[in-house]
Amino acid sequence: MADITEQEIQVFVGAVNRYFEQMTGEKAKIQASFLAEGEILPPIYDFTGLINVGGQYQGCIYFSASKILLMRLLLALHEPRQNDLHMLDAVGEIANTLAGNAREYFGEAMTISVPITFQGASDLLKSAVRKRPYIIMIKWKQYEASVIVDVVRK
Amino acid sequence: MSDPRLPSLMIVGMARNGAEALELFSQTQPDLVTMDLTMPEMDGVECTESMTHLNADAGILVVSALSDKATAIKALKKGAKGFLYKPFTDEQLVNALLEMMS
Repeated sequence: MADITEQEIQVFVGAVNRYFEQMTGEKAKIQASFLAEGEILPPIYDFTGLINVGGQYQGCIYFSASKILLMRLLLALHEPRQNDLHMLDAVGEIANTLAGNAREYFGEAMTISVPITFQGASDLLKSAVRKRPYIIMIKWKQYEASVIVDVVRK
Repeated sequence: MSDPRLPSLMIVGMARNGAEALELFSQTQPDLVTMDLTMPEMDGVECTESMTHLNADAGILVVSALSDKATAIKALKKGAKGFLYKPFTDEQLVNALLEMMS
Protein backbone atom coordinates (compact mmCIF):
# COMPACT_ATOMS: atom_id res chain seq x y z
CA MET A 1 0.00 0.00 0.00
CA ALA A 2 1.26 3.46 -0.86
CA ASP A 3 0.62 6.72 0.86
CA ILE A 4 -1.13 9.44 -1.01
CA THR A 5 1.25 12.33 -1.48
CA GLU A 6 1.52 15.74 0.14
CA GLN A 7 0.55 17.23 -3.22
CA GLU A 8 -2.58 15.08 -3.31
CA ILE A 9 -3.52 16.38 0.13
CA GLN A 10 -3.73 19.83 -1.44
CA VAL A 11 -6.79 18.55 -3.30
CA PHE A 12 -8.61 18.43 0.05
CA VAL A 13 -7.28 21.83 1.09
CA GLY A 14 -8.65 23.24 -2.16
CA ALA A 15 -12.01 21.58 -1.53
CA VAL A 16 -12.22 23.11 1.97
CA ASN A 17 -11.44 26.58 0.59
CA ARG A 18 -14.01 26.19 -2.16
CA TYR A 19 -16.71 24.96 0.22
CA PHE A 20 -16.55 27.82 2.72
CA GLU A 21 -16.06 30.55 0.14
CA GLN A 22 -18.83 29.30 -2.11
CA MET A 23 -21.36 28.54 0.61
CA THR A 24 -20.77 31.44 2.98
CA GLY A 25 -18.91 34.03 0.93
CA GLU A 26 -16.19 33.95 3.57
CA LYS A 27 -12.99 32.00 3.17
CA ALA A 28 -11.81 29.58 5.82
CA LYS A 29 -8.23 29.95 7.00
CA ILE A 30 -6.10 26.87 6.68
CA GLN A 31 -4.15 27.17 9.88
CA ALA A 32 -1.99 24.12 9.41
CA SER A 33 -1.72 21.04 7.29
CA PHE A 34 0.52 18.36 8.70
CA LEU A 35 1.13 14.68 9.34
CA ALA A 36 0.06 13.54 12.79
CA GLU A 37 3.16 12.54 14.70
CA GLY A 38 3.79 10.19 17.58
CA GLU A 39 0.99 10.19 20.07
CA ILE A 40 -0.85 13.17 18.64
CA LEU A 41 -4.47 12.22 18.17
CA PRO A 42 -6.42 13.81 15.34
CA PRO A 43 -8.42 16.78 16.67
CA ILE A 44 -12.07 15.80 16.97
CA TYR A 45 -14.67 18.43 17.84
CA ASP A 46 -18.34 18.19 18.81
CA PHE A 47 -19.70 16.78 15.53
CA THR A 48 -17.95 14.63 12.92
CA GLY A 49 -18.86 13.35 9.47
CA LEU A 50 -16.93 10.39 8.14
CA ILE A 51 -16.69 9.05 4.61
CA ASN A 52 -15.23 5.62 3.96
CA VAL A 53 -13.10 5.39 0.85
CA GLY A 54 -12.83 2.30 -1.33
CA GLY A 55 -12.03 1.18 -4.86
CA GLN A 56 -8.31 1.53 -5.51
CA TYR A 57 -7.99 3.42 -2.23
CA GLN A 58 -8.62 2.48 1.36
CA GLY A 59 -9.35 4.50 4.46
CA CYS A 60 -11.52 7.39 5.44
CA ILE A 61 -11.89 11.14 5.29
CA TYR A 62 -13.53 13.04 8.09
CA PHE A 63 -14.66 16.53 8.80
CA SER A 64 -15.04 17.53 12.43
CA ALA A 65 -16.32 20.85 13.74
CA SER A 66 -17.27 22.62 16.92
CA LYS A 67 -20.92 23.22 17.72
CA ILE A 68 -20.51 26.98 17.53
CA LEU A 69 -18.97 26.80 14.04
CA LEU A 70 -21.87 24.67 12.84
CA MET A 71 -24.44 27.02 14.39
CA ARG A 72 -22.86 29.97 12.58
CA LEU A 73 -22.58 27.98 9.37
CA LEU A 74 -26.24 26.93 9.42
CA LEU A 75 -27.20 30.57 10.03
CA ALA A 76 -25.04 31.62 7.08
CA LEU A 77 -26.87 29.02 4.96
CA HIS A 78 -30.23 30.52 6.05
CA GLU A 79 -31.14 27.32 7.89
CA PRO A 80 -33.53 28.40 10.65
CA ARG A 81 -33.11 25.18 12.67
CA GLN A 82 -29.83 24.51 14.42
CA ASN A 83 -30.43 21.46 16.55
CA ASP A 84 -28.09 18.49 16.93
CA LEU A 85 -29.71 16.61 14.04
CA HIS A 86 -29.09 19.50 11.69
CA MET A 87 -25.51 19.73 12.85
CA LEU A 88 -25.00 16.03 12.19
CA ASP A 89 -26.51 16.54 8.74
CA ALA A 90 -24.18 19.47 8.13
CA VAL A 91 -20.95 17.61 9.01
CA GLY A 92 -22.08 14.66 6.89
CA GLU A 93 -22.83 16.97 3.98
CA ILE A 94 -19.48 18.74 4.27
CA ALA A 95 -17.54 15.46 4.50
CA ASN A 96 -19.46 14.21 1.45
CA THR A 97 -18.72 17.41 -0.47
CA LEU A 98 -14.99 17.34 0.34
CA ALA A 99 -14.64 13.66 -0.59
CA GLY A 100 -16.81 14.06 -3.68
CA ASN A 101 -14.85 17.05 -4.89
CA ALA A 102 -11.62 15.10 -4.44
CA ARG A 103 -12.84 12.65 -7.09
CA GLU A 104 -12.19 15.34 -9.67
CA TYR A 105 -8.53 14.53 -9.05
CA PHE A 106 -8.67 10.85 -8.05
CA GLY A 107 -11.39 9.86 -10.52
CA GLU A 108 -13.75 6.90 -10.37
CA ALA A 109 -10.97 4.76 -8.93
CA MET A 110 -11.90 6.29 -5.59
CA THR A 111 -15.34 5.24 -4.39
CA ILE A 112 -16.93 6.98 -1.45
CA SER A 113 -19.54 5.85 1.03
CA VAL A 114 -22.57 7.70 2.28
CA PRO A 115 -21.65 9.86 5.28
CA ILE A 116 -21.54 8.37 8.77
CA THR A 117 -22.02 11.02 11.42
CA PHE A 118 -21.51 11.09 15.16
CA GLN A 119 -21.38 13.40 18.09
CA GLY A 120 -18.31 13.49 20.34
CA ALA A 121 -15.75 10.69 20.33
CA SER A 122 -16.39 7.41 18.52
CA ASP A 123 -14.79 4.01 18.16
CA LEU A 124 -15.05 4.53 14.40
CA LEU A 125 -12.00 6.76 14.63
CA LYS A 126 -9.84 3.85 15.69
CA SER A 127 -10.25 2.19 12.32
CA ALA A 128 -7.44 4.25 10.85
CA VAL A 129 -5.31 2.72 8.12
CA ARG A 130 -2.33 5.04 8.39
CA LYS A 131 -0.11 5.45 11.38
CA ARG A 132 0.15 9.12 10.59
CA PRO A 133 -3.01 10.58 9.05
CA TYR A 134 -2.92 14.02 7.44
CA ILE A 135 -4.58 16.71 9.47
CA ILE A 136 -5.84 19.97 8.04
CA MET A 137 -6.70 22.53 10.73
CA ILE A 138 -9.29 25.10 9.71
CA LYS A 139 -10.54 28.32 11.20
CA TRP A 140 -13.72 29.85 9.82
CA LYS A 141 -14.57 33.17 11.42
CA GLN A 142 -12.97 32.48 14.80
CA TYR A 143 -14.21 28.88 15.07
CA GLU A 144 -12.28 25.69 14.58
CA ALA A 145 -12.72 22.57 12.53
CA SER A 146 -10.51 19.87 11.09
CA VAL A 147 -10.31 17.62 8.08
CA ILE A 148 -8.50 14.34 8.58
CA VAL A 149 -7.36 12.35 5.59
CA ASP A 150 -6.50 8.78 6.46
CA VAL A 151 -6.23 7.21 3.03
CA VAL A 152 -3.76 4.88 1.29
CA ARG A 153 -3.56 3.76 -2.30
CA LYS A 154 -3.99 -0.03 -2.59
CA MET B 1 -34.63 30.78 -1.37
CA SER B 2 -36.78 33.11 -3.47
CA ASP B 3 -35.91 34.64 -6.80
CA PRO B 4 -38.16 36.76 -9.00
CA ARG B 5 -37.01 34.87 -12.10
CA LEU B 6 -38.40 31.59 -10.77
CA PRO B 7 -42.08 30.69 -10.97
CA SER B 8 -43.76 29.73 -7.75
CA LEU B 9 -42.40 26.34 -6.73
CA MET B 10 -43.80 24.04 -4.09
CA ILE B 11 -41.73 21.34 -2.40
CA VAL B 12 -43.89 18.22 -2.46
CA GLY B 13 -41.49 15.83 -0.78
CA MET B 14 -38.01 15.17 0.57
CA ALA B 15 -36.37 11.76 0.82
CA ARG B 16 -33.34 10.49 2.70
CA ASN B 17 -32.49 7.64 0.37
CA GLY B 18 -33.06 6.46 -3.17
CA ALA B 19 -35.83 3.96 -2.40
CA GLU B 20 -37.80 6.56 -0.46
CA ALA B 21 -37.26 9.08 -3.28
CA LEU B 22 -38.67 6.69 -5.83
CA GLU B 23 -41.74 6.01 -3.72
CA LEU B 24 -42.34 9.73 -3.21
CA PHE B 25 -41.83 10.34 -6.91
CA SER B 26 -44.60 7.88 -7.77
CA GLN B 27 -46.94 9.39 -5.20
CA THR B 28 -46.39 13.08 -5.89
CA GLN B 29 -45.42 13.12 -9.58
CA PRO B 30 -43.24 16.23 -9.38
CA ASP B 31 -42.16 18.36 -12.34
CA LEU B 32 -38.69 18.85 -10.90
CA VAL B 33 -36.40 16.68 -8.81
CA THR B 34 -33.07 17.60 -7.24
CA MET B 35 -31.15 14.37 -6.87
CA ASP B 36 -28.06 13.57 -4.81
CA LEU B 37 -25.87 10.74 -6.08
CA THR B 38 -24.34 9.28 -2.94
CA MET B 39 -27.35 7.84 -1.12
CA PRO B 40 -28.02 4.68 0.88
CA GLU B 41 -30.18 1.82 -0.48
CA MET B 42 -30.31 3.06 -4.07
CA ASP B 43 -27.78 5.51 -5.50
CA GLY B 44 -28.75 8.60 -7.46
CA VAL B 45 -27.86 7.22 -10.90
CA GLU B 46 -30.06 4.17 -10.42
CA CYS B 47 -32.83 6.30 -8.94
CA THR B 48 -32.63 8.72 -11.89
CA GLU B 49 -32.98 5.82 -14.31
CA SER B 50 -36.04 4.45 -12.48
CA MET B 51 -37.70 7.86 -12.31
CA THR B 52 -37.10 8.42 -16.01
CA HIS B 53 -38.83 5.11 -16.73
CA LEU B 54 -41.82 6.28 -14.69
CA ASN B 55 -41.96 9.77 -16.22
CA ALA B 56 -39.49 10.77 -18.91
CA ASP B 57 -40.72 14.38 -18.80
CA ALA B 58 -39.72 14.99 -15.18
CA GLY B 59 -36.77 17.35 -14.91
CA ILE B 60 -34.13 15.68 -12.80
CA LEU B 61 -31.31 17.94 -11.67
CA VAL B 62 -28.47 15.97 -10.18
CA VAL B 63 -26.85 17.90 -7.34
CA SER B 64 -23.68 16.20 -6.31
CA ALA B 65 -20.21 16.68 -4.91
CA LEU B 66 -18.91 13.93 -7.19
CA SER B 67 -17.05 16.25 -9.48
CA ASP B 68 -15.49 13.79 -11.90
CA LYS B 69 -16.86 14.11 -15.41
CA ALA B 70 -17.56 10.38 -15.77
CA THR B 71 -20.17 10.47 -13.01
CA ALA B 72 -21.93 13.46 -14.54
CA ILE B 73 -22.04 11.77 -17.93
CA LYS B 74 -23.38 8.56 -16.38
CA ALA B 75 -26.21 10.47 -14.69
CA LEU B 76 -27.07 12.38 -17.87
CA LYS B 77 -27.15 9.15 -19.86
CA LYS B 78 -29.64 7.70 -17.38
CA GLY B 79 -32.05 10.58 -17.90
CA ALA B 80 -30.89 13.51 -15.76
CA LYS B 81 -31.56 16.86 -17.45
CA GLY B 82 -28.88 18.79 -15.61
CA PHE B 83 -25.96 18.47 -13.23
CA LEU B 84 -24.95 20.92 -10.52
CA TYR B 85 -21.73 20.48 -8.60
CA LYS B 86 -21.62 21.03 -4.85
CA PRO B 87 -20.82 23.43 -3.35
CA PHE B 88 -22.97 25.89 -5.28
CA THR B 89 -24.34 29.37 -4.74
CA ASP B 90 -28.04 30.37 -4.74
CA GLU B 91 -27.42 32.03 -8.10
CA GLN B 92 -26.04 28.82 -9.61
CA LEU B 93 -29.03 26.86 -8.33
CA VAL B 94 -31.50 29.38 -9.75
CA ASN B 95 -29.72 29.32 -13.10
CA ALA B 96 -29.74 25.53 -13.18
CA LEU B 97 -33.46 25.41 -12.37
CA LEU B 98 -34.25 28.06 -14.99
CA GLU B 99 -32.32 26.12 -17.57
CA MET B 100 -34.25 22.96 -16.68
CA MET B 101 -37.57 24.75 -17.04
CA SER B 102 -36.76 26.54 -20.29
